[in-house]
Amino acid sequence: MMVGLSVGEKHFIQGGIAQDLRTDGRRRLTYRPFNVETGVIPQANGSARVRLGGTDVIASVKAELGKPSPSQPDKGKVNIYVDCSPTAAPMFEGRGGEELSTELSGALQHCLLGGKSGAGAGIDLSSLVVVEGKVCWDLYIDGLVVSSDGNLLDALGAAIKAALTNTGIPKVEVAVGASGDGLPEVDISDDEYLQFDTSGVPVIVTLTKVGRHYIVDATLEEESQMSSAVSVSVSGQGRICGLIKRGGAGLDPSVILDMISVAKHVSEQLMNKLDSEISAAEACEEES
Amino acid sequence: MLHCRAKQRASTVAGSRVTMAGKSAATPSTYSPSPAPKTKRPIFQDVDWVRPDGRGFHQCRPAFLKTGAVNAASGSAYAEFGNTKVIVSVFGPRESKKAMAYSGTGRLNCNVSYTTFAMPIRGQGSDHKGYSSMLHKALEGAIIVESFPKTTVDVFALVLESGGSDLPVVISCASLALADAGIMMYDLVASVSVSCLGKNLVIDPILEEESYQDGSLLITCMPSRNEVTQLTVNGEWSTPRVHEAMQICLEACSKLAKIIRSCLKETASAPKD
Repeated sequence: MMVGLSVGEKHFIQGGIAQDLRTDGRRRLTYRPFNVETGVIPQANGSARVRLGGTDVIASVKAELGKPSPSQPDKGKVNIYVDCSPTAAPMFEGRGGEELSTELSGALQHCLLGGKSGAGAGIDLSSLVVVEGKVCWDLYIDGLVVSSDGNLLDALGAAIKAALTNTGIPKVEVAVGASGDGLPEVDISDDEYLQFDTSGVPVIVTLTKVGRHYIVDATLEEESQMSSAVSVSVSGQGRICGLIKRGGAGLDPSVILDMISVAKHVSEQLMNKLDSEISAAEACEEES
Repeated sequence: MLHCRAKQRASTVAGSRVTMAGKSAATPSTYSPSPAPKTKRPIFQDVDWVRPDGRGFHQCRPAFLKTGAVNAASGSAYAEFGNTKVIVSVFGPRESKKAMAYSGTGRLNCNVSYTTFAMPIRGQGSDHKGYSSMLHKALEGAIIVESFPKTTVDVFALVLESGGSDLPVVISCASLALADAGIMMYDLVASVSVSCLGKNLVIDPILEEESYQDGSLLITCMPSRNEVTQLTVNGEWSTPRVHEAMQICLEACSKLAKIIRSCLKETASAPKD
């Protein structure tokens, strides 16, 4: 992976963060310039690629017809899975990247899927149902880490939001006069698509604590110096949709509450920037 | 407000039964499975809704903790919080696998598994595969890994019966088992979860309450140092609610840590037979 840091380099990183001037010239709460492309995978129902500095991730959404779970017959199902490709780091080959993949998948499911009753979910699951209790859409959201330079969770969250905006669910017609018990016949249209409403999808902001200060969008080197990190998922209305504390060190509760308010403040700017980037990408895709 | 009057009752079996409820709580009843699947009922909309087991909204279940449950392990503990029954054994510090690279500090390996009969539907416990890494994260901030370099400490948790709020019980029981094994720690780790049901915040939810929850907050902290080692929030929350939930949980954690401590003291002072 990356070459280890010397003691001098570690001091430089920590000192710079303390003085609000990071190694690449950014301030503590500034994101790296990011770039969004949608529709990069033609075979998927929706896809997007996000480049955040050196971090490069791709998210794809595939929709398949399936059966809703018995405990929630009026909702569709969403599965989120992240794969860390060996192109990002040689240690991800085989089962090496499994731990990181599980951590990222779990964190994304936490942030985007809300509570067990379905409240607070970023994606409206009841819009995915076709025939209540019998047929529903299963969304498989797959994230792929192509290149890793820190802050994977934020990049994946942004990529999933962009991919969902790009997703078209085919229109389904249920055959009239279907039998009561068996699966009704459904006809999947090839031409007409329904777009997702992604205004409710939250954006994820990770705050990394280095020394006594928090930074946003840490690079790989800065992440190696972190004591702990808090990832907050904030929706467009400013409500917290999920929160995960990562890292081993303990944090004072007042520090966590402070980090939450900083994350909410940062998320507004990020949300606006991301929305404008996504609409620019969609417009670009339509032209080509 | 949280009720907590620790009633120490001498018991014939080694261990201490300590109740956290003010009123005399019934001993955890034997689990009897309900044959027919329940239909979803919106009972939580009532303002004066009472919890199925009669607890207040901010009242935890009575806790039964016992150390020395497994003879073969370096340290072990058994915890029963209402219907949630968990057994944790700690093995180590023992030699790391030869395949592992040299490490100047100790290693922690955690594993949480469910028995096949733990959940109402057989085999449903495999949904909780993420719990092992969450247990690891909760404990790694509290253990002094420099005290056992080059070796590994294994923590194995087995959920015998799932009655709601499983992971917090596993974490608290694991810290008791680690203390029983003599692993050096900065402080005992206590964990509590809170469920958001409509407008209400309900602490230490049971399985039924968890299935209807709109959101949940799980906090693991070291009470004496006032440090949070793990915080996971699920569902939609506003910031004041998060404040409120964290306050409630931190109070409950400090009371739970006192109970764990008193259990350890009893074991230490009990005459060896």
